Amino acid sequence: MSLIEIKDLKVHYPIRTGFWNRITDSVRAVDGITFNIEAGETYGLVGESGSGKSTTGKSVVGLEKVTSGSILYKGQDITKAENRRKLDYNRDVQMIFQDSLSSLNPRKRIEDIIAEPLRNFEHLSKDDEKLRVLQLLDIVGLDADALYKYPHQFSGGQRQRIGVARAVATNPKLIIADEPVSALDLSVQAQVLNFMKKIQREFGISYLFISHDLGVVRHMCNNIAIMNRGRLVEIGTRDDIYNHPLHIYTKRLLAAIPETNVNQREAHRASRLAVEKVYQEQQSKYYDDDGEAYPLVQISKTHAVALPQALAQQLATQEGEVQA
Amino acid sequence: MAENFEQHSDISAADLARLSQEAQAEATPSTAKIIWSEFKADRPAMAALFIIVGFIVFVMVGALFINTPKMMETNIMAYFNQPFTPEFWLGADSGGRSVAKQLIVGSRNSIGIAIGLTIISSTFGICWGLISGYFNGYIDWGMQRVYDFMMMLPMTMMIIVLVTIIPHYNSVTLTFIFSIFYWEGTSRLIRSRTLAEAEKDYVAASRTSGTSHWKIIFREIMPNISSLIIVDCTLSFAENIGVETGLSYLGFGLPSQTPSLGTMISNANDPNNITQYWWTWLPAALEIIILCLAISYVGQVLRRAADASQRQGAAD
Repeated sequence: MSLIEIKDLKVHYPIRTGFWNRITDSVRAVDGITFNIEAGETYGLVGESGSGKSTTGKSVVGLEKVTSGSILYKGQDITKAENRRKLDYNRDVQMIFQDSLSSLNPRKRIEDIIAEPLRNFEHLSKDDEKLRVLQLLDIVGLDADALYKYPHQFSGGQRQRIGVARAVATNPKLIIADEPVSALDLSVQAQVLNFMKKIQREFGISYLFISHDLGVVRHMCNNIAIMNRGRLVEIGTRDDIYNHPLHIYTKRLLAAIPETNVNQREAHRASRLAVEKVYQEQQSKYYDDDGEAYPLVQISKTHAVALPQALAQQLATQEGEVQA
Repeated sequence: MAENFEQHSDISAADLARLSQEAQAEATPSTAKIIWSEFKADRPAMAALFIIVGFIVFVMVGALFINTPKMMETNIMAYFNQPFTPEFWLGADSGGRSVAKQLIVGSRNSIGIAIGLTIISSTFGICWGLISGYFNGYIDWGMQRVYDFMMMLPMTMMIIVLVTIIPHYNSVTLTFIFSIFYWEGTSRLIRSRTLAEAEKDYVAASRTSGTSHWKIIFREIMPNISSLIIVDCTLSFAENIGVETGLSYLGFGLPSQTPSLGTMISNANDPNNITQYWWTWLPAALEIIILCLAISYVGQVLRRAADASQRQGAAD
């Protein structure tokens, strides 16, 4: 059984207009997505800004009101608040936020910030609690001096590590990492990511890793889902996505990864333009009449793509992929 | 579970005392220390603080030694007695009553009302604004309609009517009557900041950490808008001295046998008093000006102390 099973999740925001403020339409931030997260794995959720990936993450951690669909954890639907309370759900599912500064209360000391989930879920004695906080700081590579300082006294990388420490405090089973490193510079990104990987190895935590940075996702994730306009357009293993992409949106994302090899600059440019040309000319083939993605079609055991059956088969044989 | 953490960290219970001592040495100074160093950096504010505290203590204690009914008795022999005489330091008014003694008792009454009014109305306004802004949605909608209704009532008229209906009113009932109307401005101000604050990630982080709504409102959000609360409280304290004074001046404040800053200033209604008997109204007017100025100086220092980027005090 998977750790978390997300089934046909929808999050719609109503648009109210007119004199009576009636609901006339809705923004479909997340529009029917289905995937599972296994214990101990890192699941990548990739897409452009506004594709609904953060909303998905917030729904999974219980911060967003879900319109329909279900999220199963230990067989219970945790989209209902009472089920979350019964399970002490947030003890097992925690979150790391994108903006490290705003996710730490500027008026609280580091000790209180990291101890917050401990106080709510574990009720340790004062000394045990302080010891746990010190151990957590040690695990994310910060000194004990940090204990009584305030968040603004730390650098961005240190703050994000404090965020990681808080998320790990109750020894959760799943951590939602919502673009945890996109606000950091490259050297600090690697540092924070390596701490996250180390913690995963040591504590056996699963991550739902939300990002738009395909380089980082490749470094972190085994399974990846590509999201576009509130729907999943492609699901697969790292190999499926990076070496055999089928959907045009995935291809565009991959083409957008900056390449540092100057000698092949022209070749890269040509391939980028080729992908863009296909997108411009054949958009109607990849999206339905409303401009939305098709339902997912299974290509192999691990690989699924949101295309009409015939086109998916054709593209798959072109790519030379083995049929399931 | 605890073993899990012990496995991956070298820190054990034995190091606890040493490490927390080390951390204590590196700790950021407490809020009280920050405020104090901020006062030390700003001499006028320091003087203002001493003036306010000294004056309030003086009138509160001094008023205890004055027999008010006896003081308010008319003494025709002392009719407009000159100031700076041994018996009448600040002279006497048309009833021959000592201005200095009236000033002490009157300040006690006016400041007492202002303090009471600030505490009651600000507490209520802050709670109303925080709850309305945090929960949003239907709760916010309902609470804001109540607010709109209260705003619609003509405040001064309502207070005057209530004061005339209530048979035996004193400074306590007057404080409560004022409090019904003076929470509104604070609540709107606090609500608008809370709306912005509740969207921030640290609130979401607290919710995923299992903290209850009430704890988030009063322990997480409220400290973060404390600079706004402090400024609003000091300004409304200065304003509230004026509220009582103004109404007493119009004759609807405290009963005429209870001296207050307002009744003393209303001596200036008489042109004779303005030109010849200046001591009947000038001390009270000067007192209000000095008090309000001093309060705003102190308010500025508190605001700077609450906002790290504006501090002038030595960082230690």
